[in-house]
Amino acid sequence: MGGSFAARLSGWRVPLFAMMVSLLLAGCGVNAIPSSEEHAKAMWSEVLNQYQRRSDLIPNLVETVKGYAAQERDVLTSVIEARAKATAVTVDASTITDPEKFKQFQAAQAELGRALGRLIAVSEAYPDLKSSQNFLALQSQIEGTENRIAVARRDYIRAVQVYNTELKTFPGVFWASTFYRSYQPMETFTITDEQKQVPKVKFN
Amino acid sequence: MSGTAAPVERRTTVRWPVSAIVALLLPLVLVWSSSAQAYSFPELAGRVTDAAGVLDPAIRAQLEAQLAAQEQKTSDQVVVATVPSLEGGAVEDYANALFREWRIGQAEKNNGVLLLVAPHEHQVRIEVGYGLEGILTDAVTSTIIRTAIVPAFKAGDLAGGIQKGTDAILEVLNLDPEEARARAAAAEPEMTQEDWLGLLFLVLAVAFLAYLFWRRMRNGGSGGPRSGRRRAGEAAVPVTTWSWGSDSDSDRWSGGGGSSGGGGASGNW
Repeated sequence: MGGSFAARLSGWRVPLFAMMVSLLLAGCGVNAIPSSEEHAKAMWSEVLNQYQRRSDLIPNLVETVKGYAAQERDVLTSVIEARAKATAVTVDASTITDPEKFKQFQAAQAELGRALGRLIAVSEAYPDLKSSQNFLALQSQIEGTENRIAVARRDYIRAVQVYNTELKTFPGVFWASTFYRSYQPMETFTITDEQKQVPKVKFN
Repeated sequence: MSGTAAPVERRTTVRWPVSAIVALLLPLVLVWSSSAQAYSFPELAGRVTDAAGVLDPAIRAQLEAQLAAQEQKTSDQVVVATVPSLEGGAVEDYANALFREWRIGQAEKNNGVLLLVAPHEHQVRIEVGYGLEGILTDAVTSTIIRTAIVPAFKAGDLAGGIQKGTDAILEVLNLDPEEARARAAAAEPEMTQEDWLGLLFLVLAVAFLAYLFWRRMRNGGSGGPRSGRRRAGEAAVPVTTWSWGSDSDSDRWSGGGGSSGGGGASGNW
């Protein structure tokens, strides 16, 4: 039978066979794990990017609020402290695969979100602050950033779902145990945490 | 050559790629359908999609013309949409999902803007594509909503608010003519490396098929009934399944493939 197989592979069927094998291999998802990992990582950097953006807005916001409501010292310092704590959490490549580190990152950002929510709520009591152009611009930026964070987190959760599923289901599980042993499942934001963590900042 | 077994083998070599391709495509189709959004969005009827039915035809036509002129000029895709319901979602979430569903803005530039009005929920949002976040910043869109849109909406003038909002968006987009021109120039389709690779692959594939065809033609003349049957059977497959994009659809406007990451601002009245 071997001879008949070789005969079948004669002539133009050789490149065709090679094409089919490579196509089949690609179809079997040999590329799926690295490419879905890359996608999830890209989504993660967008999450970090948006958290960074929020962090960058805070000093300006704190200064503006201070100008009108200096007596709200507790709330102001809690925001500054939470921001300092959030920036102190080191984020590196292992954060997304290490449950402990991920939890730490999530907790620090959640604390900052809560402190920020309190600051915004307190600002409601100061009509001069609320109507100042500077504050209006800042509040729209904070609002926009909170929304971007929500979108980035959702995109990340989806990308991680695809990646983790690829690692655990056939045929990905086969490649994960042969070619891609170093690929770890990624951590993701949980739904309950999401509800707790991103307080709806509403200005009216 | 293994004489008598050949016809049987040939049939299998022709058939198994078809079943293999079906097997490969099936999971893809399943993945696509399962990732569909939870919302039931209105159909994209054009640059002005008035699913809530709050705009007169004359105003709609005028807005359409304005938005078409803008796309002509800077390639920015601005879409005005009114929806009968947000289906229980937040306006931010709904607007982002709708923006991505309609793929507003050019694919490489992501220069789309969606002005979404939900008259029932009294919510309005300007959702800005990634590429325009630097021009239509959160602060700018928030100002447009607060000063141009919401006052008119509060007075019960939905059409007027939408018109003022659209005017303001277009004004901001055209503030810096130099920048707008640069944006338009960058949106010109350019051959990326990926495109060249795709073209190369296509040329190779065509050349390969032409070679096969040539072989068959050369051998075909002296062939018996067996080769004749094969020619008919194999020729039927590519000819019947090949489809050259649907040109008849090109008169209907659609999104250019852009996306948004949640930029913009919302308001209520």
